[in-house]
This record gives sequence, structure tokens and C-alpha cells, in this order.
Amino acid sequence: MGRKTESRSRPNSEPLDFEEIEHTADWALRITGSNLEELLCNAARGMNSLMVREVGADGSLLEKPVELEAIDAESLLVEWLSELAYWAEREMLVFERFAFHALTPTHLKATLYGRAVSAMEKHIKAVTYHNLKIAPTARGLEATVVFDV
Amino acid sequence: MLSSADFREIAPYLYEVPQSYRADMRVPARFYADSQLLEGVLGDRSLEQLVNTATLPGAVKYALAMPDIHQGYGFPIGGVVATELPHGVISPGGVGYDINCGVRLLGTHLEQEEVQPYLDALASALYTNCPSGVGKGGHVKLKSGELERLMETGAHWALKRGFATAADLERTEEGGCLEGAAAGTVSPRAKDRGRDQVGTLGAGNHFIEVDVVREIFDESAAQRIGLFPNQIAVQIHCGSRGLGHQVCSDYVKRFQRSIHEYGLRLPDRELVCAPLSSPEGQDYLAAMKAAGNYAFANRQVLTHHIRHSFEQALAGKVKNFQVYQVYDIAHNMAKIETHEVDGRPRKVCVHRKGATRAFGPGAPVLPAIYRDIGQPVLVPGSMGTASWVLLGTEGSMTQTFGSTCHGAGRTMSRHKAKKSVRGATLRDELEAGGIHIRAGSMSGLAEEAPVAYKDVNRVVKVVHGAGIAKMVARIEPLVVIKG
Repeated sequence: MGRKTESRSRPNSEPLDFEEIEHTADWALRITGSNLEELLCNAARGMNSLMVREVGADGSLLEKPVELEAIDAESLLVEWLSELAYWAEREMLVFERFAFHALTPTHLKATLYGRAVSAMEKHIKAVTYHNLKIAPTARGLEATVVFDV
Repeated sequence: MLSSADFREIAPYLYEVPQSYRADMRVPARFYADSQLLEGVLGDRSLEQLVNTATLPGAVKYALAMPDIHQGYGFPIGGVVATELPHGVISPGGVGYDINCGVRLLGTHLEQEEVQPYLDALASALYTNCPSGVGKGGHVKLKSGELERLMETGAHWALKRGFATAADLERTEEGGCLEGAAAGTVSPRAKDRGRDQVGTLGAGNHFIEVDVVREIFDESAAQRIGLFPNQIAVQIHCGSRGLGHQVCSDYVKRFQRSIHEYGLRLPDRELVCAPLSSPEGQDYLAAMKAAGNYAFANRQVLTHHIRHSFEQALAGKVKNFQVYQVYDIAHNMAKIETHEVDGRPRKVCVHRKGATRAFGPGAPVLPAIYRDIGQPVLVPGSMGTASWVLLGTEGSMTQTFGSTCHGAGRTMSRHKAKKSVRGATLRDELEAGGIHIRAGSMSGLAEEAPVAYKDVNRVVKVVHGAGIAKMVARIEPLVVIKG
């Protein structure tokens, strides 16, 4: 859906981890990862890139435990991003590092590490299921997520 | 993507995609446009999304889209679908995450010349008193159990707390209270998100505007609803904030599980739904109404803040700074209504996702003051351009389940708008044009640039020409407040 408009890759030029794609009303990201854990991390970083320009190193590093259940991997991805969007709205927290203690397509247990920011560029109202499918690719997994903003 | 070969013009401004277009369609899909708007519709995936809505179980007559249609998620923005009771479905995605996002129009006794010297002070007062932006809490502190009462009684809660007048409630869709709302069907997380956001604007495309009534098209109707040329008016555009967003997220998630129990198959998971007769469907309906009531209360508290701002900026400077309500409408809702289907009245659930209820003259649910002229419809345009006041018609009752457009409709993605417009430059241009801007985010301002939207005048001409609303007045902004 839509054409590629911008891509961001890691400094060491590893494969793309997320890119913004065109959507008339809202925001959409195409996300890749070599496995489910990497897909979730890249999805979180992609959403962060919509919400804030940079997190910065000011303020104390905070951590939050999270445990989520879902009916399948797509639902788990929505739940994961919704959890992060919730903390962004409630406490202006942006998480950049994630330690996964358990991960299956229907269950996730992790610790989130991040900081409070002083301002948000964008409010993510919700993470949608619109045409959501985690598809296998030659390099791992790919999904397109549409955010309501 | 659909092409022009996939639909045909069946009446002026009205096009139909036949049910035969796709095997899973249960009804045809219709949309309103003129030749120029049609080009825009073919430029994104909105028609495909419209066709998807025609597959909803229990859909009657046809799936519809208004001329401000554009690509959304699940439903297109501008979509209207009616499903029959008792076993037709209700779809949270057919309402959207911002449940009861809507528009309120306030009138004043002031003319532009009286207020012009004080507009900057008024803009500052509004920006200070009406919290806006991401993560901003409101001034209203709720006591234990009060949020639940607010969700179940809507604007009546605001009346008891001194944030409203009885006339405000009379001039609000549903009287500002959706019956059947149940706070117990709303999750703790949704309540947590909503607890400190009552009376806040939020971000995105939400706004408060001070406007001037620039042109009247129906003098007697304008007089009845309290509008006159050169008058100062105020618009509020916002909804149910984090509480509504969470209600939608919660039920989209719950329905992902239950849809398999009901054996329903859909072309897009965001269209997920449940039969209205099912426990899940009933719970969502009650939770959606609770969020809808939250939105009515939210716009009502903002109205209170606006009245306070007018007093702060104008007391002692103008004769009468009183602000009165013209009307308040929802444009993201599902409602149980009676409409004619197959020649007889049937109870249906009308989903309006970016579409406005537009009941015609004589509708019993309209307040007595407007019943003989039809329901006022408020159509905000893009920032810096015009907005419209319309009336519902007989035509909207027969053609569109009593619905019409809700705004201009986007044509350009937010990403592209940000690339092509600098927020600070846009602010300077609008200020140079005499519009006072207060905005928390320059990038957010750029995303809402007028160039990213269709021409609202063209959209309104289509609904007027098609007979699904009639023009009453055009208003233009003098002050814009955005999060």
C-alpha cells in the first residue's frame, strides 16, 4: 500500500528496520525484523520516531515490566505498540531498549527501559489492525502498521 | 484499486459500485462526488475500503461514502453503513477510535468590528484556559465515582457541576446524553486515560476557532439558529480523548477473539465486528455510548472555558460577551435509528465514520426549536479556510440514512504535508491574512495545512446539489487554537 517515502537504517547499514509509507489520513510504517523479537523492537523504534525527534540522555533511566497476551502474532504486535503508546500519553515516557524474558507469538514478558521527554511531536491515539499481516520474507518478517493520530 | 470502469453515475453527484463487483459484497457501494472530487477519490484506497464495508453482515440498502471521503483504516473516512437489528453487526472500526468526535458551534451577540481590537487577547485567553496538546491534563478534578456518572449522563453531569446551561443541552445531539451508556463496560485503563482529560482539546486535527459569519444562504434558517452576517461565532472540534481511544482498542481486541465464534469472515481485521444481539455487541454499544457521553461532557467543559475566556478578554470592552450554543453534533458514532428499508421502517444501526447525522424537518428526536427546519449540521473546513453550517433534509433521510459530510477531507498525507509546508511559515502566512494562531506544535500545524485538504466549498456544493443537506451559512476563522 502506498509508496516508500523515507527510510531509516541502522548506522552500520544493516537491512532497513522501518520506513514511513504514504497514508492519506494517518501514519503508516513498514517494519522488518529477522525474527519476532527484532520486529517488535523495530516497530517500537519506528513509533518512537513518529512521536519524538530524539529522546536525549537527560533524565533518569526508567524501567517498566510488561506482560501481554494475544491471540496471534499480529495482535501481539498491536498490543505491544499500544502499551508503549499508553505510557507515552500518560507519563510522556519513551522506551528505547527492551529486554525480553519470554516471547511467543501469543505471549510476551519484557522489561522496557526509557526516559521521560518534555514534549511529544505527535500523539498516537491508537494502533490499528488495518490490513495487518506479519509476513515472512527472505530476510525474516515484515509488517505494515497504520496508526490513528 | 478501483478504476472508473468499476462504477457508474446513477444520479447527479452519485456513483454506485454494483454488488457484482466483488463476490463478498452484501450490498452495493455508493459515493457522492463531482468530477474533480472523483479524481481525488481514485488517488488513494478509499473506494476499496468502501467496498470492504459493503461486506459487513446485516448491511442494508448500500454502503455509503460522503464527498469528503478519504482513506482511513477499515472504514474510509466519510463512510456510512446501516446494519439491521437484531442480528446485524456493530463494528468498532466503523465508529473509529475517537468515539463521538464532533463539532460544537457557539454564537455571540458580537460583530467582528467590536471584537477585532481584542482578538489577540482573546486568542491568548483561549489558549491558556483550554488545555491542548499531547499529555495535557484538564482543570477539572473528578471525585471518586464521578467519572462513572459523567460517562452515564454526559452533558447532564456538566449541568450539575455548573459547566452548562439547560439551553446548551437542548441544543446538543441526543441532548448531550446517550441512553444506555454503562460505565461497567469500560475498562480500567480507558478510565485511567480519561480521568484527567475532561475539558481538553488534544492534538491532531482538533481545534477551537473564533470565526466570523461571512455569508448567509438561508436567512430565515440562520435567524432561527441564531446566526447573522458579520457575527462572531466559535467552533470546537474534539472528541472523547484517551478514554474513547481505549474503548475502541479494547473492543477491537475482544472482537478479534469472538469473531471466530460467530463464523464471520471479513476482508480487513480492522472491520472486526459482533452481532448486535450478542453479549460482545451489547457491551460495545454500552461502552461506545459511555465514551460518547464523555465527549459531550468534554466539549461542554471546553464551552465553559471558552465563556470564561470571552469574559477575561472582553469584559468592560464590549456590551455583551455572552456565548450561546447553536448546536453540537457527533461525526464518529453508531446509533440505533429507524429508517425506511424495502419500503417499510426498520430499526438499523447506522455507523457514521467521519459523517454527520443530518435529520430532516419533522424528525421527532430533534429539539423543538429546530424540528420544523431540520437538524443543524456543522462542517469544519481546513484550517484558515471556510466552515459551513447546513441543515438536514428530506433527501438525507431517503438517500443516506439521515447522513451527510463532516468536513473537507484530506487529499495529501501528513508526511507529504510536513515535507511541503513549514509550520512556522504557514503560521506567518495565516497571521498575515489576519488569522491569530496559537499552536503547540509547528509540525502538527504543517500537517493540517489547507493544501492537504479538499476544497470544503466544493464538498458542500455536492451535498447541497445532491439534496442530502442544504446550505445555511459560511463562516471564516479569525483565531485558531491547536494542540
